Amino acid sequence: MALLDRSEWYDIARTTNWTPTWVSDADLFPDVMTGAQGIPAEKWEVYDEPYKTSFPEYVSVQREKDAGAYSIKAALQRSRIFEDADPGWRSILKSHYGAIALGEYAAMSAEARMARFGRAPGMRNMATFGMMDENRHAQLQLFFPHEYCPKDRQFDWGHKAYHTNEWAAIAARHAFDDLFMARSATEIAVMLTFAFETGFTNMQFLGLAADAAEAGDYTFASLISSIQTDESRHAQIGGPALQVLIANGRKAEAQKLVDIAIARAWRIFCILTGPSMDYNTPLEHRKQSFKEFMLEWIVGQFERSLIDLGLDLPWYWDKMIAEFDYQHHAYQMGLWFWRPTLWWNPAAGVTPECRDWLEEKYPGWNDTFGKAWDVIIDNLVEGRTERTLPETLPIVCNMSQIPICAIPGNGWNVKDWPLEYEGRLYHFNSEIDRWVFEQEPERYRGHMSLVDRFLAGHILPPDLGGALAYMSLQPGEMGDDAHGYAWVDAYRDIRRAAE
Amino acid sequence: MALFPVISNFQEDFVLLLLPVDTENTMDEVAAAAAHHSVGTRVAPRPDKIVRVRRQGASDFFPRDQRLAETGVRPMETLEFIFCDA
Repeated sequence: MALLDRSEWYDIARTTNWTPTWVSDADLFPDVMTGAQGIPAEKWEVYDEPYKTSFPEYVSVQREKDAGAYSIKAALQRSRIFEDADPGWRSILKSHYGAIALGEYAAMSAEARMARFGRAPGMRNMATFGMMDENRHAQLQLFFPHEYCPKDRQFDWGHKAYHTNEWAAIAARHAFDDLFMARSATEIAVMLTFAFETGFTNMQFLGLAADAAEAGDYTFASLISSIQTDESRHAQIGGPALQVLIANGRKAEAQKLVDIAIARAWRIFCILTGPSMDYNTPLEHRKQSFKEFMLEWIVGQFERSLIDLGLDLPWYWDKMIAEFDYQHHAYQMGLWFWRPTLWWNPAAGVTPECRDWLEEKYPGWNDTFGKAWDVIIDNLVEGRTERTLPETLPIVCNMSQIPICAIPGNGWNVKDWPLEYEGRLYHFNSEIDRWVFEQEPERYRGHMSLVDRFLAGHILPPDLGGALAYMSLQPGEMGDDAHGYAWVDAYRDIRRAAE
Repeated sequence: MALFPVISNFQEDFVLLLLPVDTENTMDEVAAAAAHHSVGTRVAPRPDKIVRVRRQGASDFFPRDQRLAETGVRPMETLEFIFCDA
C-alpha cells in the first residue's frame, strides 16, 4: 500500500483542538496549567513548529541513535580510555552525570506537562516526542556511568546526587524546579526549551562532545552527540510559543520569563562548564577559553535568536557579559577549596603553564585570582595542607544556592546584595540574582539555603563533619584534588631552583 | 553572652564566609576571628597592618574596642574587614 508523504497529512492529523462538551474548556485547560495568559485557543492554532516528524519516523531515527551510542560503548568497554584519561577529564564526567542525569527526568515531566496542557496542537505533538527524548537521556546518562561504579565510587553520584542535600545538588534542584518542574506549559516552552536549551544546553552539548573527542573519550562523545541531536529538535518548541505571546500583546510577560530563565541558566553553566573548560580540561586539549566560548555562542548566536524573535536583550546583558571575565574563576576557587563537599575531584588547574594560559586569556588573572592561589600554593609547598581545607561555610546565594563570590586579590570586588523581605534577610550574589527574587518573592521566600539550614540547627553536629554527613558524602566519595597534588611539585622545583 | 553569626567579607578574599562570633566580642576580636579564615588561607599576611571592621558600604569603621552587642549589627549582616595602618 502506498503511503502518503508526511507533508500531505501532517497538518490535518495534528489539528487536535476540539470543542469539549462534557467539561468546559477552562476546566480542560486551566490557565494555571497552560500559562496561556488568557490568549484564546484559536490564537494558538497558528503555532507552527519548525521541525516536524511523525511517530514512525521518530521511532526509527531514535532506534538508530540508541544503537549507535550503545554499540560504541560496548565496543570500547574493554579499552583503557577510562584508566588512561586525565583525572581532570574523569572529574568532568562525574560532575556532568551527577548534575544532569536525573535533571533529564525532571525535564521529561516538564515536556509531559506541555504534551498535556500546551495550548497549541503543534506544541503538544512536539512535546510528546520531547518527553520521550528526555526519558532516553536520563536512561543513557544513568547507564553509562553505572559501568564505572566498580572502578570509582564517585560515579555512583550519577544517580545519587539528586537524592541528597549536597549543596550543588540543592543548587541544581532549585534552578530546575524553578525553570521547569513548577511552571505552566507555556512557561516551560519559554524557559526550558527556548532559554535553557536553545540558549545553553544545545551549545554546551556541542562543545562537550568536541571536548570528549579531543580527550579521546569516544564513548562520551557519541553519547553527548546522540543527546544533542534530540535537544536541537525539541528546543524548537519555545520559539513559536514566544511568537504567539508577542503577537497577542504579551511581549513584556514573555520578556520577563526569558530574562529570569537566562539569569538562572547562566549560573548553572558558569559553575559547571566554566571550571570544566578552563581548569579541569588538560591544557593541551583546550580549544578555546570559557569566555571565548560564551562570546561566540551566547553573545554571537543566542543574542541574534532573541532579536529575531522580536525580544529585547535582558536588562542585565552587559552585567552578565562582564561576569564572563571572573565569575567562573571564583566558582573554581570555591569548588577546589571546599572540595570535600563535592562528589568529584576538582583539578586545581593552576600549574605554571596553566597560569600563563589563564593570564593570556584573562589579562590580570595573576594579579587577582593568582594572588589567592599563591597563598594556597605556599601552604601546599610547605606541607600545610590543613590550611587549604575549609573550616567554615561560605555564604550561599538565596537564588542560585551557589557561594557568593567574585574577584580576590588586587581586583577585590566581592559584595553581598542583600534584601530584607517580610523580616527575613536574604543574600544574593549579584543584582541579577536579587532581581529574579524580587519578580516573585512569594515563590522563593520559603526556601532555606544550606547556610539557613545550618543556622536553623538542621545540620548536626554543627561542623564540617556534620555538614558532610548532611550532604550524604561518605568516605571514599568526598572530593579531593584530582591529581593528588602532584602539580605542586612544579612549584617546589621553582623554589629549589631559586634557593 | 550569645553566639552571633555575621558574614565576613574580607579584603582580597574571594568569597563571603559565615563567621560565628559572640555579642561580647570587641571589634578587634571579631576581626581576628575573620582573619583566621582568610589570612594565610587565601589572603597574604600583612604583618604591618591591622584589620578594621565596618558595615558593607560604610566609610567609617567601628571603634576597635566596641563590643558587637553595642554596634547595632544584625545577625547575618555583612561586615567588611579591611587592612589599615596600625
